[in-house]
Amino acid sequence: MVDFRRDIPLAITFIIGVIAVLDYYTTIPIFINTFTVIKNWGVVLQAFALGLGAVNLLRVHGRRISERRDDWYFSAVLLAMMFIFIIVGLITGQYESGATYNWLYNAIYLPLGSTMYSSLAFYMAYGAYKVLRARTFEAALLFTTAVLVIIGNTPIFPAMFPGFFHIREWIFGPIVGGAYRGIRIGVGIGAVVLGIRTLIGLETGYLGRR
Amino acid sequence: MDVPREVIMALVLISMIIPALNPLGLPLMVGDMSRAWYRTVDELPEGSVILFDIAFGSGGYPSLGPGTIAAFHQMFEKGHKIIMMATDLEGSMMYPLIMDSVKPEQNYGAVYGEDWVFFGYIAGGQTAMAGILGDIRALVSTDYQGNDIDSLAVMDGVNGADDFDLVASITTSGDIAEGWVYQGYSQYNRPVIGGCLSMMTTSIKPYYDTGQLLGLMDGIKGAADLEFLTKHPGDAIVSSDILSFSQTLVLIFIAVGNIAYWIQKGGNS
Amino acid sequence: MVSTDPQIWIAAFLTLAATSYAFRDNKVFKFAENIFIGVAAGHLVVMGVKNIRDYGWAHLAQGEIIYAVVFLLGILLYTRYHKEYYWLYRYPIAFLVGNGIGISIRAAIHSDFTVQIAQTASPLIASDAMGTINNIILFIGVVTALSHFIFTYEGMHQGVLGYAPKVGRWMILLALGASFGNTVMTRFGMYQGRVVFLLREWLQII
Repeated sequence: MVDFRRDIPLAITFIIGVIAVLDYYTTIPIFINTFTVIKNWGVVLQAFALGLGAVNLLRVHGRRISERRDDWYFSAVLLAMMFIFIIVGLITGQYESGATYNWLYNAIYLPLGSTMYSSLAFYMAYGAYKVLRARTFEAALLFTTAVLVIIGNTPIFPAMFPGFFHIREWIFGPIVGGAYRGIRIGVGIGAVVLGIRTLIGLETGYLGRR
Repeated sequence: MDVPREVIMALVLISMIIPALNPLGLPLMVGDMSRAWYRTVDELPEGSVILFDIAFGSGGYPSLGPGTIAAFHQMFEKGHKIIMMATDLEGSMMYPLIMDSVKPEQNYGAVYGEDWVFFGYIAGGQTAMAGILGDIRALVSTDYQGNDIDSLAVMDGVNGADDFDLVASITTSGDIAEGWVYQGYSQYNRPVIGGCLSMMTTSIKPYYDTGQLLGLMDGIKGAADLEFLTKHPGDAIVSSDILSFSQTLVLIFIAVGNIAYWIQKGGNS
Repeated sequence: MVSTDPQIWIAAFLTLAATSYAFRDNKVFKFAENIFIGVAAGHLVVMGVKNIRDYGWAHLAQGEIIYAVVFLLGILLYTRYHKEYYWLYRYPIAFLVGNGIGISIRAAIHSDFTVQIAQTASPLIASDAMGTINNIILFIGVVTALSHFIFTYEGMHQGVLGYAPKVGRWMILLALGASFGNTVMTRFGMYQGRVVFLLREWLQII
């Protein structure tokens, strides 16, 4: 008896994954042509998935507004801005290349996006003061390269003594290169193993819990 | 000794404002990774076709925007054809900002549709990359403004990976940087160069060390290097002065924090 | 001379509002934060609809009827909000997972494994002494860092063998320090862009 809730999705994952791998390792036209269509479908499906975030926000913040919870008016602002962008983007038929959309983007999204992500600079400084301490031998190792790299990255120091820049470049050579290559190989093995386990149905987390 | 958080925040802000008002014009030392990027593009014969992914948005623009501008200056100057796309949702919003600075028509006599084209944002990450490298026309039929790509001269004879002489991407996402190595280098055997935020450089560097990336633009530092090498000074070189002040302040914080810790530890023992 | 462009004023206000959180949480920041989430979600929808039109609808309009299937799958994604038929969303998710894994693992084996190991197994002796020393440090770094992540063999972390993961841990810590140093530069490099915007575009004093 086929379980449509579980067996069919697992079969879809397996078949699509295997076609992708066969497209790589063989030159058989049927796999290449089929996978070309699968790739295009993947793009379209990902585009459909982009709307899920908006639907989630609509559900969560719509409820907050209807129940008049604390600071509900912030939720109203959030949804209003979401609809303004959607309407301006879609109504003109020009999407993101429309002049009004561009104006709104540069006035609102660009400054907020830039500032939100970059404000961590302040916490980096605070963290450097409060946490980055050479308490133990191992902490001292991290501390040493951190300080040397910051010095090498700060143009005023290499301008006074070019050796600081060469030390920084050297750290990025064998030290960073060696350790991160080891990590990269480990991560690569892990990703491939997890991928194979998912394709053959041993990992089913993506199906959700219900 | 405990300095209040607000004081540290205010000092950081001041350390950025002072050098912005009074630039020092410090000399720049160019790193190997940026030099390799520059050399790779420079050694391409004139008229080479480059696939370029603008894979960052507003968050990455201050760090990666200047580097992208410098990269395009070099590519247009050398007379290369550029097929642009975006795997970041905001990439298509970065495109006009970047082109407003590069001004390819004005500075290099380049013509849209003949010397470059922009496909806009394509969803799917690695799926989009594999789609473009595999068979462009099976996926894309119009550019970002809705023009039929077959009506654009720059697309003549460009169908997939074999027609690209170089694949370049500048991104804030580790998955995208990795993805271009996977798809561009491993899957389709193309020469690839990449740019990323400095904080990603350590994890992306194994690809550069092993020759899978022929050049690596290391965030704002790499951008300043590229501005210097291409002789198009811009915001990244301006930022060098600001970084000198603000990072020196961080070093002072580290020193003060550690001295206070060791004094306190000595007192306790 | 301060800018008179309303776009610049809005951008400047939102920059300052978003920065204000660094000093203390406040209502102005919350206002900016909610605007940000709203516009980001709105932009997602706009770009999603455009992609569906350009890469899905365009094929369907040309008579490729098979593309109707992907539209059906796309709509099924939204059944996850339905109490009874929520499980139908697993079909498109299964497609995306299979496609994503298939596309990445086939190349990951080459990029993250074969090439990395082949390069590490290359000769250590370089044309100059410094090059040879660097090659040896790099080789030790790769092997010991990898050994640090071997947890299935207990002996790896005991006795003489135990030195390898210990050295690996030191190498990783040194590399993480470099990573921290570069993260500081990234964040400052980002924020300086906003400072330059405020001084140049808004206040127009540089």
